[in-house]
Amino acid sequence: MRIEIEPDGYQPPKHGLILLQCLTAALFFLFVTRFWYLQILQGENFARMASENRLRKELIYAPRGIITDRNGVLLAENRPEFGLGLIREECRDINATLAQVSLWTDIPLARLKAKYQHDRAKVKQFEPIILASDIPFEELAVVEANLYQWPGLSIITRTRRNYPYGKDFAHVLGYVSEANESELEKDKNLSLGDIVGKAGLELILEQNLRGKKGLMQVEVDSRGRELQRRQAKAPQNGDAVTLSIDYKLQEAAISALGDNAGCVVVMEPDTGKILALATLPAYDNNTFAGGLSVKEWDQLRTNPRFPMQNRVIQSTYPPGSVWKILMAGLLLQEGVNPKETVFCPGAIKYGNQTFRCWRRGGHGSVNMTRALVESCDVYFYQMGERMGIDRIEKYALACGFGQQTGIDLPHERSGLVPSKEWKRSRRKQPWLNGETLNVSIGQGFTLVTPVQVARFISGILNGGRLLKPNLFLDEEPTLQGWLPITLKQRLFLSEAMRLTVAGDGATARVLNRSDAIVGGKTGTAQVVRIVGDVRLKAHQMAYEHRDHAWMASWAIQGDKKYVIVVMVEHGGGGSSVAGPVVKKLYEHIFGPDNGPSAELADSDAARQILHDIILESEKKQPMPPVPALKKQTGKNNNEPAHG
Amino acid sequence: MGKRLLMHMNWGLIILTVILFFIGVANLYSASAFRVEGGLADTGFYQRQLLWGLIGLCGMVCAMIFDYRHLRTLAIPFFILTLLLLIAIFPLGISVNNARRWLSFGFFNLQPSELAKISILIIGAHFLSRTKSPLGWRELITILFIGLLPAVLILKQPDLGTTLNLLLLLAGIILFRGLKLRVFIPICLLLPVAVFIGWEFMLPYQQQRVLTFLNHTEDPLGTGWQIKQSLITVGSGQLWGKGFLAGTQNQLRFLPEKHSDFAVAVFGEEWGFVGCVALMALFCLFLLSIYTTARDAKDRFGSFLAAGVFFYFFWQILINTGMVLGLMPVVGIPLPFISYGGSATLVNFCLIGLVLNVSMRRFLFKNK
Repeated sequence: MRIEIEPDGYQPPKHGLILLQCLTAALFFLFVTRFWYLQILQGENFARMASENRLRKELIYAPRGIITDRNGVLLAENRPEFGLGLIREECRDINATLAQVSLWTDIPLARLKAKYQHDRAKVKQFEPIILASDIPFEELAVVEANLYQWPGLSIITRTRRNYPYGKDFAHVLGYVSEANESELEKDKNLSLGDIVGKAGLELILEQNLRGKKGLMQVEVDSRGRELQRRQAKAPQNGDAVTLSIDYKLQEAAISALGDNAGCVVVMEPDTGKILALATLPAYDNNTFAGGLSVKEWDQLRTNPRFPMQNRVIQSTYPPGSVWKILMAGLLLQEGVNPKETVFCPGAIKYGNQTFRCWRRGGHGSVNMTRALVESCDVYFYQMGERMGIDRIEKYALACGFGQQTGIDLPHERSGLVPSKEWKRSRRKQPWLNGETLNVSIGQGFTLVTPVQVARFISGILNGGRLLKPNLFLDEEPTLQGWLPITLKQRLFLSEAMRLTVAGDGATARVLNRSDAIVGGKTGTAQVVRIVGDVRLKAHQMAYEHRDHAWMASWAIQGDKKYVIVVMVEHGGGGSSVAGPVVKKLYEHIFGPDNGPSAELADSDAARQILHDIILESEKKQPMPPVPALKKQTGKNNNEPAHG
Repeated sequence: MGKRLLMHMNWGLIILTVILFFIGVANLYSASAFRVEGGLADTGFYQRQLLWGLIGLCGMVCAMIFDYRHLRTLAIPFFILTLLLLIAIFPLGISVNNARRWLSFGFFNLQPSELAKISILIIGAHFLSRTKSPLGWRELITILFIGLLPAVLILKQPDLGTTLNLLLLLAGIILFRGLKLRVFIPICLLLPVAVFIGWEFMLPYQQQRVLTFLNHTEDPLGTGWQIKQSLITVGSGQLWGKGFLAGTQNQLRFLPEKHSDFAVAVFGEEWGFVGCVALMALFCLFLLSIYTTARDAKDRFGSFLAAGVFFYFFWQILINTGMVLGLMPVVGIPLPFISYGGSATLVNFCLIGLVLNVSMRRFLFKNK
């Protein structure tokens, strides 16, 4: 029953009602369509965008691989490092906070401010700016106790490369530091602030030591504040590396060198493994990990004794008389009878030049053995002149000089084996025959690295093999080629070296010990040409004009064989300066001389044992025939050795 | 109130209102929460909303108990009072965020623009119900003049959202009433001019909002950020939603204004397409039940009152949801019952009360 109230019988406007219905329907369909488009059609897109919004990816640093010596002594490790970080979004008063940090850490305020300004643009929101790193423990305690008063400051824990023996292994291990721009550009896996190897094994083994970074998913809110973290990918540790070096021997080598600038390399001749590789002066590679100041870097760089230089592989020196072993090999190869004698009057004239022997009075009549044992220069002047520079060059190259040994360390120098061609192209001068005489005694233009010498000497003992100097305990020996020295020649050369230590008039007598067979060759390499007749004593000359002292040696005791090469820069005489260093090392290895053992009763017994050992070394892998001073033959030639 | 009154009351509207209100509170509970390290923190908006709901309920009852026809006599004085309060804002109002919108009365703050919504509704219904035929020029201009007075004052506060709401509400009732054809056609032609003039009157930040809406892919971290995050929030809900209290955009505060203007986005993220369609259906049923009151009312004033309330809610739903879904520019218009807002909730309930008032008394005229 409808009751009409309005006098005209009210009916609502029809089109008005239709309008309301239509609007309601339109509203519904408009929004349902839109919801469908956003949530169903585009839903996955938006869901992805939502998760991109909230999940930030963060890298987890992989611990760098540790490095140990052959007995497991840690040479490079990672230790925790505590730094102070500032999250600027949470800090109330930046200036006051920086001033407080300056008080705590003794870092000048200006430097902190500069660092803050510099890094501010680089870090993301709510990421700390590192103000101070590697805070010592006692400071850390003070900081930690007061930290609550300084919102925004926090102690940041990171790992830092640590070398427990610092200087002693600096040249082997090298150092690490933050990657620079060119390194970042070259290696896509690196990101800003990553630590990479810059020198030594850290550089060479960078890819092995680095490991693989993990991935952390961090849930953040719209202001970048961190809420939760989840490890999405575990970091993979860098490979652990075991060196063939014996840290005790390395320490002994360094203490044996004393205050001298110089180097020691100890090698196992049969494997090429390096047991010690020491260089002095050295630098503390720990300082690089925290970033070196410009001043510190300049001091290292401009130090007149070049502490950054790895003298075993990066410095080249004239070999001096050590070279005579190589020359003797060449003479034998060219058919010179070792019994042939040369008369040494103390000097010879060649052209209008006088070439002196180190012994002013001369050696009298010397054969090849005596020339080696007493290191007669005149013998080798004459013989070298007979050989000519071309043959010397080819032979020296075949013995591994003038080229890198391939040791796994960066920036190895190749030295120089001079030739006519070299002098013409580099010096724009023709070769003078007198220069051949100088080259014959390891002077003149000839330049070698100590590791080349060690590899060469090893070759004489190990059956003529040129092995890659090997720094890693578990790496198989790498045969790089064969010395052009036959078994018979090696027997001769090793016996001559033994006599240089143990024989009459031996120049390397300092090494002599009765409980081992020791061989050696001294070298005293002139740095400046001797003017006039007088040969000055070392202490009479300016340091940089003094001679380099060499000692190339080997020692055999039982089935243990060692090759030790010592080079003392501007040290003076080889036997007097380098010799005692080697002697100390043998004392370290074999202990004090215990007197002759039963089988080493006399010189003949020692000779026989050495003879047997050299023969034995030949049996393992017979040497291919030595070509007549041509390029090395291939390894597939397995004919028994002749001669 | 007699038994008959209760019997004829629009119960559907009450039920829908209560459902929507509680959906709003539940959604605000989620929107109030934000994740911090190790748990959830909340800002308590839902509690205040509940309190305002109770106050609103009282307002609703107040708006029901008297016969709505008395409002006709109160229409003009009420309107003048509103105008005076709006003017009083300029010397006396409290300034928040560069906008003067509140008058302080010591124990509570009054927002006269909210009052203006009710006032314009009543006076609009009152004027329009005086004539039987569709509006001619004279009536139209009169009613527009009446509407523009508070609108200009509110625009000066400045409060674009409420101004728009007011004018659209008025336009809604006018359209419901109908225009003479000779008026309607020129209006349609003049509308673009009006839009241009309106644009010129807008403040730079208001213009920027419109521009942002028109081209919201540019500058994603600046003014377009809100819309972009809103779309991500709604869209990432997909079919079934992320679940109650599980919206990441919401809890990690990527969504701006999540408890007020963008509250429905929170709902969309957590309840998905299914929830959104249900919510829209509820809103449309809600609108339709107001519509039935406008249809069944037995006098013009009552009918126009209900139609006015219809438009009041319709425009807010359209503009707010449209904004959240990227179909409308970002204007500060809340979604009824879903967005947090104290005085808005109170006004909403009062207006529902008015509609109920009309629906209750549609059979009582003979007793007068």
